[in-house]
Amino acid sequence: MTALLEICGLHVEVEGREILRGLDLEIPLGETHAVMGPNGSGKSTLAHVIAGREGYAITKGIIRYGGEDVSELEPEERARKGVFLAFQYPVEIPGVNNTYFLKAAVNEIRKHRGQPELDAVDFLGLMRDRVKLLDFDEDLIKRPVNEGFSGGEKKRNEILQMTVLEPTLAVLDETDSGLDIDALRIVAEGVNRMRSPERSFLVITHYQRLLNHIVPDRVHVLQDGRIVESGGSDLALRLEAEGYGKAAAVTA
Amino acid sequence: MRETAAVEAHYRDEIPVRQGDPFAVRRTEAVREFFRAGGFPTARLEDWRFSDLDGLGRTAYRRYSDVPTLVPPKTDELPEWVGDFGCRVLLSEGHPLNADEFQHRDGLEVGNLPSVPAPDERHDWGFVAPGEEPGGTEADLDAPLRHPLEILNAGLFECGFRVRVGRSQDAGPILLYSLRHDVGHPAMLHPRSVIELAPGSRLTVVEAHDGVSETAGWTNPSTLCRLGENAELFYVRVELESGNIAHTGRVTFQLARNARVHSTVLSLTGGKSRTDTAAILTEEGAEVDLEGLFLGVGAAKADQHTLAIHAARHTTSRQLFKNVLSDEATAVFDGKVVVAPGAIGTDASQANRNLLLSQKAAVHTRPRLEINADDVKCAHGAAIGRLDEDALFYLRSRGLGRMDSHEILVRGFAGEVVEKVPVAAVRGLAKEGLTRVRESRSFAA
Repeated sequence: MTALLEICGLHVEVEGREILRGLDLEIPLGETHAVMGPNGSGKSTLAHVIAGREGYAITKGIIRYGGEDVSELEPEERARKGVFLAFQYPVEIPGVNNTYFLKAAVNEIRKHRGQPELDAVDFLGLMRDRVKLLDFDEDLIKRPVNEGFSGGEKKRNEILQMTVLEPTLAVLDETDSGLDIDALRIVAEGVNRMRSPERSFLVITHYQRLLNHIVPDRVHVLQDGRIVESGGSDLALRLEAEGYGKAAAVTA
Repeated sequence: MRETAAVEAHYRDEIPVRQGDPFAVRRTEAVREFFRAGGFPTARLEDWRFSDLDGLGRTAYRRYSDVPTLVPPKTDELPEWVGDFGCRVLLSEGHPLNADEFQHRDGLEVGNLPSVPAPDERHDWGFVAPGEEPGGTEADLDAPLRHPLEILNAGLFECGFRVRVGRSQDAGPILLYSLRHDVGHPAMLHPRSVIELAPGSRLTVVEAHDGVSETAGWTNPSTLCRLGENAELFYVRVELESGNIAHTGRVTFQLARNARVHSTVLSLTGGKSRTDTAAILTEEGAEVDLEGLFLGVGAAKADQHTLAIHAARHTTSRQLFKNVLSDEATAVFDGKVVVAPGAIGTDASQANRNLLLSQKAAVHTRPRLEINADDVKCAHGAAIGRLDEDALFYLRSRGLGRMDSHEILVRGFAGEVVEKVPVAAVRGLAKEGLTRVRESRSFAA
């Protein structure tokens, strides 16, 4: 089986500093993988470089998505092919209405899939559906994107967008950070409901806590810009108990 | 450059001569006063440093009525959006186009301010005679009326607009539309308009200046708005002139007790403009919002000067001026707040926010506060920046294209001013302006 996401020997520089140093990662279609690692190991860089952020220079290696080299594609081109990034720090966009923004995004993606665009009524119907599932305050979708949202509301808005945009590969960048236990449960349920043989998840996290709710098929340990160890979901528990120091020692 | 004496002689010759004009003497005095005070303002004056209007004094502008080739346009030549207004007053080259349409109903008078007023109406023209001392108050309430180009307008003015709303009436939206054309000769327009709201009345009014000219042109309108107690005015000013037309306009609001003004200056000019917006809060409880938006492309330049005079206790002014600058567009914001002695409980704020879309765009911003009373709240701030890279990436990561993402952010920035305009036709003009920004050379380059 070919992997949905296949990263080989990836080296990435940000502002002249090498952050990823020969990273290898494969996620088959339908699987959920977790990448765990200490601060500064390159977790967020990995998330951003998959989504295509400018200023993240790939100096070596390749990112294949659906068998295609996407290293040179613009972020919007990747999104239209089904890549979604749930941000660690969702951006506040004053003056841009949440609903308007999301409708524009949905229709952009539908257009590229050859589907008819949703009109306002259909879109609102879809939104209402998803908003309910996520226990999301309906007033928030009428407000400017993320403006004045609490940390938990911002993260829920990321998951709301994910459920509406229906990506093939969803990258969750520390979605658990700043969430209380109730919000964490709601977010995890939102993700679990979307798990399917047609969709893969890359869950990036510092703590094992989230993985009690979103149980991954595989766990990878990222350290110093490389995957240093991979295993089943029990690896996360071991890391939680022993800390990241041990994992490094294993490969040393 | 021509000699000052020759320039003065030229403008004295341009004073309209009308049979029975009660202002005939006053007009001459005003032109004399204008030149005695230094004539056309140059960049050497602090207040005009960035206005870039030095060329005005070097061109021998003539009034349209002196240009014999003038043919007034037909109503069907007017832009489509003008048709959205059920009530409108139209001027072409300063000549009334639809004066016969107006019937003065009870409580509402809409039409032209004639170039020859009735003798008992002197006060209605809002003049301060040259050299007249400000009367009694400690704040200089007549300062806006002693603006040099206001004085020149007092000498040269011809037809303008007049709106009077009677006690407790609710009127609008009314369009006051002035259009000009290229007549192959440097032409000037000095419309003078008065808008009056009786106590307890409400009005929404749009004053628009439109026209294209390759030949140098100059529009120098003065508008005075007087509000009685508890009156409420939504005033929208749209500057659409382009090409080689220089615009120097002023609007002055005088507010009585508990009167409220929401003013928006929408600058879509393709040329150079300087607009002075002044609010005089003469009595307790008066409240004003002065807002502005300039959507600059090409070599357009908009200079916004504001003045809020708090002359009474518990008065409020809020200013918000935003500029979106592409290509080589330049914006100036010079905002002044004056709190008179004794005006305790004043609440004044001022914000100027600028979005630069090009390396060559420029902005000059200067907030000024003159506070002569205790127990007041005054806040001011200015910000100059580019589009937020994080926000752009966020939008693009959701599938929105590069150009669309830029446009969404620019629209969001402008929306804070545009969405408050209570007239759909004007919001439509702003959207067209935003489309021109998107189509500008430097956009998302």
